[in-house]
Amino acid sequence: MKKIVGIADMGISQGQGEGLITYSLGSCIGVAIFDPVAQVGGLLHYMLPESQIDPQKAQKNPYMFADTGIPLLFKEAYRYGATKNRIIVKVAGGAQILDESGFFNIGKRNYMALRKILWRNNVLIKAEDIGGQVSRTIRLDLETGKVWIKYSGEGEKEL
Amino acid sequence: MNLVDTIIQSAHQLPPFPAVIQRALALINDPKSSVSTVVETIQYDQVITANVLRVCNSPYYGLRQSVSSLQEAVIIIGFDPLLEIVLGSVAGSALGEAIPGYDLESGDLWRHSISSALLSQMISQRINRGQDHMVFTAALIHDIGKVMLNTYVKDQFLTIKDLVNTKKISFLTAEKEVLGIDHAELSATIAEQWNFPREITQAIRYHHTPLLAPADKEVVYLIYLSNLIAMLTGIGGGADGLSYAGYDEVMYHFKLEEKDIEKFIAQLGDQIQKVETLIQLQKPVENS
Repeated sequence: MKKIVGIADMGISQGQGEGLITYSLGSCIGVAIFDPVAQVGGLLHYMLPESQIDPQKAQKNPYMFADTGIPLLFKEAYRYGATKNRIIVKVAGGAQILDESGFFNIGKRNYMALRKILWRNNVLIKAEDIGGQVSRTIRLDLETGKVWIKYSGEGEKEL
Repeated sequence: MNLVDTIIQSAHQLPPFPAVIQRALALINDPKSSVSTVVETIQYDQVITANVLRVCNSPYYGLRQSVSSLQEAVIIIGFDPLLEIVLGSVAGSALGEAIPGYDLESGDLWRHSISSALLSQMISQRINRGQDHMVFTAALIHDIGKVMLNTYVKDQFLTIKDLVNTKKISFLTAEKEVLGIDHAELSATIAEQWNFPREITQAIRYHHTPLLAPADKEVVYLIYLSNLIAMLTGIGGGADGLSYAGYDEVMYHFKLEEKDIEKFIAQLGDQIQKVETLIQLQKPVENS
């Protein structure tokens, strides 16, 4: 059993039953968090770095942006008994097109925003798979806490 | 017969693009159209008619008596939902299928196509171009060639991917190098066969290589950008991923900035539900 987390959305799961999966991460980033003691897992699929680009949309759907979505992901996990010092963070996505100048660098900006937010909150990234030109799917297995990553056209591997 | 000829031959065997949909799109997008002209066009299409009535009689509209006249239903729901229903009916054809060569599951290419079409309207509005059914249609069918190229890409996938990785070229260039034809070229060939106007076939042909277009730059650039932003979001993305080139010239041409790209993405993110609703429409009408 796995719960599908949509684009600009977030999912939280507890116990051994339900895993979380999110598809088609292009320049978007998937943030998977897991507390092995509380058995709480969360997965966020955000599209853009900063909510100031469209505050109205951020109010309607905070999961669209890194700066509004990431704090909510952690808060929601805390509600289920997770604690910050136990949470393991793994991230994937932030792909780019073949772009010399950086006009279309949303992937990189998404990653920078993530780094900034986690760094400010003293949270480390345990594993990451960022950039490149690939479309990714990531899956959080609640039984083991393992995160699996799949490039479109290839097989699944552990992150 | 060489491979390119075989591929083009198979494209010629595609069923025609329903003329009723092409006409309906033009009419619905024209603010001067009357309800009755639109109804006259769509009434002979059973799927569209059934879907319009189904939507109109859904709980959303809260009608006390069920509506059975198409004319009445169109008046009640209005042109915007009608446009979506008409488009939803196209999805029953090629764009809705799974395309394993590009690792696209059933519905994925349709998601990407609708996203591109919606983006084309957002960009048009931003650059004060106004709604344009030609642009919308071009954005919707720009990747139709992938459906035909599917088997060949699947057979040669490792060779293509290897070229992309080692030579750092785009997926499109690698397709051309390995197969002798790329999906943009093939899409344009199909659109030509469907008798789409030159502006559309051009925009489709150059949707990854806009700077090479000899004419109609405006529409070519629009489709290029719509597709590029749809790719960035990853919606309906496949094995070719984001292995395509970015051209700043297009952004300069429209006087757009980085911020605008982010705004378009946010706008699309807001409409994902709409995209999913359209995907659902392609499912057959149930007699419940």
